[in-house]
Amino acid sequence: MLAQQLLNGLVVSGVYALFSLGFTLVFGIQRILNLAHGAVFMTGAMVAYYTVDGGGPLWLAFILAIIVSGCLSVLVEITCFRRLRKTGDEEFGGVVSSIGAGLVITTIAQQISSTQILRFPFETFPVVIFRFWDLRVSMLQLFMAGAALVMVLILGYLFYKTAFGRRVRAVTDNERAATLMGINPNRIYMQTYFLAGALAGAAGVLVGLAFNSISFVMGEPYMMFGFAIIILGGLGSIPGALLASVIFGMVQTLTIAYLPSGLTDTIIFAALFLILLVRPHGLLGQEDAGNLGGRR
Amino acid sequence: MSNFIAGYLPLFDLYCLHVGLALSQFIVLRAGVFSLATAAFAGIGAYTAGILAVDLGAHPVLGVLCGTLMGMLVAMVLSIPLARLRGVYQAIATVAFIQICLSLNIYSESITGGAMGLNNIPKTVGTGTLFVFAALATYMIWAIEKGRLGRAFNTIRQDEAVAASLGISIRKHQMLAFAISGALAGLFGSLEAYHSYAIDPRQFGFHLLITVLSYVIFGGRNSVIGPLAGAAFLIILPELARPLAENRMVIYGIMLILVINFMPKGVADTAIDAIKARRLTAKRGDSA
Amino acid sequence: MTSLKLTNLSKRFGGVVASEDVNIEVPTGKIIGLIGPNGAGKTTIVNMITGMLPVSGGTIHVGDTDITHAPAHEICRAGLARTFQNIRLLGEASVLDNVMIGFHRHETSSTLASLLGLPASARETKALKARTMELLAAFDLTEFSDYPAGGLSYGHQRKVEMARAVATNPNFVLLDEPIAGMNDVESDALADIFEGFAQDGKGVLLIEHNVRFVAKLCSYVYVLDGGKLISEGTPDHVLSDPAVISAYLGGQDA
Repeated sequence: MLAQQLLNGLVVSGVYALFSLGFTLVFGIQRILNLAHGAVFMTGAMVAYYTVDGGGPLWLAFILAIIVSGCLSVLVEITCFRRLRKTGDEEFGGVVSSIGAGLVITTIAQQISSTQILRFPFETFPVVIFRFWDLRVSMLQLFMAGAALVMVLILGYLFYKTAFGRRVRAVTDNERAATLMGINPNRIYMQTYFLAGALAGAAGVLVGLAFNSISFVMGEPYMMFGFAIIILGGLGSIPGALLASVIFGMVQTLTIAYLPSGLTDTIIFAALFLILLVRPHGLLGQEDAGNLGGRR
Repeated sequence: MSNFIAGYLPLFDLYCLHVGLALSQFIVLRAGVFSLATAAFAGIGAYTAGILAVDLGAHPVLGVLCGTLMGMLVAMVLSIPLARLRGVYQAIATVAFIQICLSLNIYSESITGGAMGLNNIPKTVGTGTLFVFAALATYMIWAIEKGRLGRAFNTIRQDEAVAASLGISIRKHQMLAFAISGALAGLFGSLEAYHSYAIDPRQFGFHLLITVLSYVIFGGRNSVIGPLAGAAFLIILPELARPLAENRMVIYGIMLILVINFMPKGVADTAIDAIKARRLTAKRGDSA
Repeated sequence: MTSLKLTNLSKRFGGVVASEDVNIEVPTGKIIGLIGPNGAGKTTIVNMITGMLPVSGGTIHVGDTDITHAPAHEICRAGLARTFQNIRLLGEASVLDNVMIGFHRHETSSTLASLLGLPASARETKALKARTMELLAAFDLTEFSDYPAGGLSYGHQRKVEMARAVATNPNFVLLDEPIAGMNDVESDALADIFEGFAQDGKGVLLIEHNVRFVAKLCSYVYVLDGGKLISEGTPDHVLSDPAVISAYLGGQDA
């Protein structure tokens, strides 16, 4: 049923938005593609699982997951990118360095979880189904959509309405000029990475709850979907990432529902490939894809 | 003694195979293309060769030839759209390409065996063959480096505007680099298929991409010694002690971070530069 | 006589006119100047000639070859070499390697020979090395041949760039503000090199805003302001032209 699928798609979109906002934020501010972002996302889910497993309540698990993922993301910035930004080799080096960080994080998670798929105990999140006319909505879905919406709104507020947001934009425009105005760029970067990591960690918990399946490799497909989303939205564009998350979530849900299974990924990545070629700067991005601009 | 050698033979086989793939990754980076598609080309080569052998009973020479050509052909076609992109956009596009190949492979179960992979491939390639091809590939990359193409690749990588102003066609040379990369990956992919009885799609995914990239980053991206040394070090290191082997991927990860941050040219290239610099100082000392 | 010729060259960015109906002719064996205050549109002209910007109207010819819409790498093949406003060398490569790549368009060994490391490829590399050393000697750079180009002084780096341009064996050379940031000794040394180009029969288009330097070297000068030519002629004629004086001195008031 189409309406039900669209509704499910919308809930999924919220999770994608949380994941890809941080991804695109980091690229926007530093021109770095942080490939450890998927591992940070997975860490969020793991932390939540082990908190619940150790007898903690779900709300505590959620908060711990956000804090740990945020801090991990800051750690990635400090160990992987800070030095590269000074040498000016962050485009290539950043990709390599963050692949390394992702590898370390996922392998450690693999050892902690003994390569098992982890599941929350039954009814960690109460199973309640609401019905509106023909639509079925679970409490979990409502919670996911609500949590995503609240966090996106908080991010939007921070970014567009506060002094912090102005400083981030100043550093993005011109790091040196911002430094001269008394802004400490390293501090801004750490705050941005914390935000990015926290959002990814929250997305990890929501995905873990929704599918009730947590494993050390769970970040990988989201990394890939994240690529598609931030390219579609325009690398570095926040509104673009939001719009693209919704489009992507809908398209994915619909293709899974109506097309032969197994072809979904092919279609998604073929679409990503085409978007890169036709409109490399995405729907709402302004940057060209590093072209020479000459007659080639 | 013969026991000792036999124990390490699989490691040497792996080294030869991975040197070929590392050189495939090396040559595109050298020409200034941030492509990570080597894993996909290797998969295409392996499956072309594997399917020819299993379904059609083709002779291994024919299989390897077709695998190589197929890798090259796909790489050349891929290079046309990629010429429009730069930097991380190329990286993303090639990763997407790996995913497309992977999911198409799993989907086309009737041809490729899907997620279960392709089994019962006759084993026709041994250590000797692997070594010969690894040596040949190394020689070819070395020859390229010494000649006209190496000079053109170098210039394009460092400054495209300068390259164009000197009459070097960027598009043509990058397509050539892609063709070489695809052919090498296709070749060593098909050798892998004939060397290992069975192949499966996951073998040619993100994991292989990371492994091959690690060799080149660790060894160096400028001289042909780089990928050779990088592959040797990263393959042998985990074998030295059991705790190292268990944490192989953590070691790769830490190596990637440390090397790109503190020795961005890679171990071999940094050493070569140091030797050159010492020679220059010595020369200056003589003339003074 | 062949020449580098711009005919009614124009460039519009959206509705903004950056160059309009620019006509310039550079004959072989002569040094021709193109001057203008900052923001006059010199860089736009350079970028159009060198293929970095699409042309909106008019044509560019090198001899009989139309390069108006040619991609950057074909312009070199038509016989036009250039230097860059901010010197662009391969910083870590040796001076020898930097100049050697200039010979690219004259390399004849086949791709196959280069791939397989056939003797033809090795012979060519050896021959090019010898020719490069000759060129370095002509530019007084022999002693630096093995040093990384990025470590040389500014003046020497400019000479390496000149040697690289000459290696392409061009009929015309486009010099984009070659003496910016140089001291007098260095710029005099470069002036000698430019005169050498003209004596060898090359046509030189010298783009500068140092008027004194241009007046000393050029036989004919074009003056650009606001994207249009406002004057042309011998240096004496141009420098006494009231339109030129007001463009340079009274730009803000006029």
